[in-house]
Amino acid sequence: MRERGYTLLEIVVTLAVFGIFLWIVVVLTAEMRANEKRYPINYMAHPEVSAVMARLRRDIFDTTFYPQNFQGYERSPQTLLLYTIDQSGFGKTVIYDFRTHGEVHRKEYNATQLTGEWVAHGVPDFHFDDFTLDTGQVAARITARDEQNRLAIDEIFVPRPHK
Amino acid sequence: MSKSRGFTLVEVLVAILVLTIVITTTIAMFVERHKRLKQANETILAYQALSNEAEIWRRVAFARLDDANPAFKSDTAILAPLAPFTTSVRVDSPRADVKNVTFIIRWNTAQREAKLSIIRADTGGSGLW
Repeated sequence: MRERGYTLLEIVVTLAVFGIFLWIVVVLTAEMRANEKRYPINYMAHPEVSAVMARLRRDIFDTTFYPQNFQGYERSPQTLLLYTIDQSGFGKTVIYDFRTHGEVHRKEYNATQLTGEWVAHGVPDFHFDDFTLDTGQVAARITARDEQNRLAIDEIFVPRPHK
Repeated sequence: MSKSRGFTLVEVLVAILVLTIVITTTIAMFVERHKRLKQANETILAYQALSNEAEIWRRVAFARLDDANPAFKSDTAILAPLAPFTTSVRVDSPRADVKNVTFIIRWNTAQREAKLSIIRADTGGSGLW
């Protein structure tokens, strides 16, 4: 009667093929993990973050000056106050409040009247700094770090209001 | 006599060939996807730095654009994951009243490069903005 089961050679060959496949998967996964640690999160692929950056860009480009305080808000790295010109040519004050973790609040005032409020959720913690050019003009530098404290966003916007 | 059980050599070879094609294709796709994601991440970081440079160099006085040794003026901390990298600025004057300013970042032993150019025109100092 013929014996049932596999020969030693069959098992060894099968294990070798499986082992090679497993080794390739492990090496690739390890490399992927290493890259994940090296690179910050690509926030630009997140619609909410892109929306915040687009609004910041538009508002800062049209800024004529940065108020020091307005309606109880004080200018700080987590609170950006802008006096901008809107599409119809009228001035308005815009406040970006980055103080709440994971949120950006944008408030728009016509004189002292709150005319619009917009909130973005699930975003990194933004930070605002001055960046003074050689010409003396003050630009806004917006940065954001991911959960591992890696610098993920660093953009400089120089105001260019039409006069 | 009863027919022998098992697979013929041709069947086994065809099975191995099919399996090899499937596995190598899967791994190649995985590797390619991983490579492209890495390149996309690098490009996004590089273009943030290039965009910042463009913002700054737009305001440099036209006469001072081709000062000796033009170099990046912004903080390049965003490029840390690309280290080691090099940055350079090139200013060409195709016409007396026009200058092309090109910002270049090279990394991955200069195998990867990101460039951004702006064209500056001599507006006579009136200032567009």
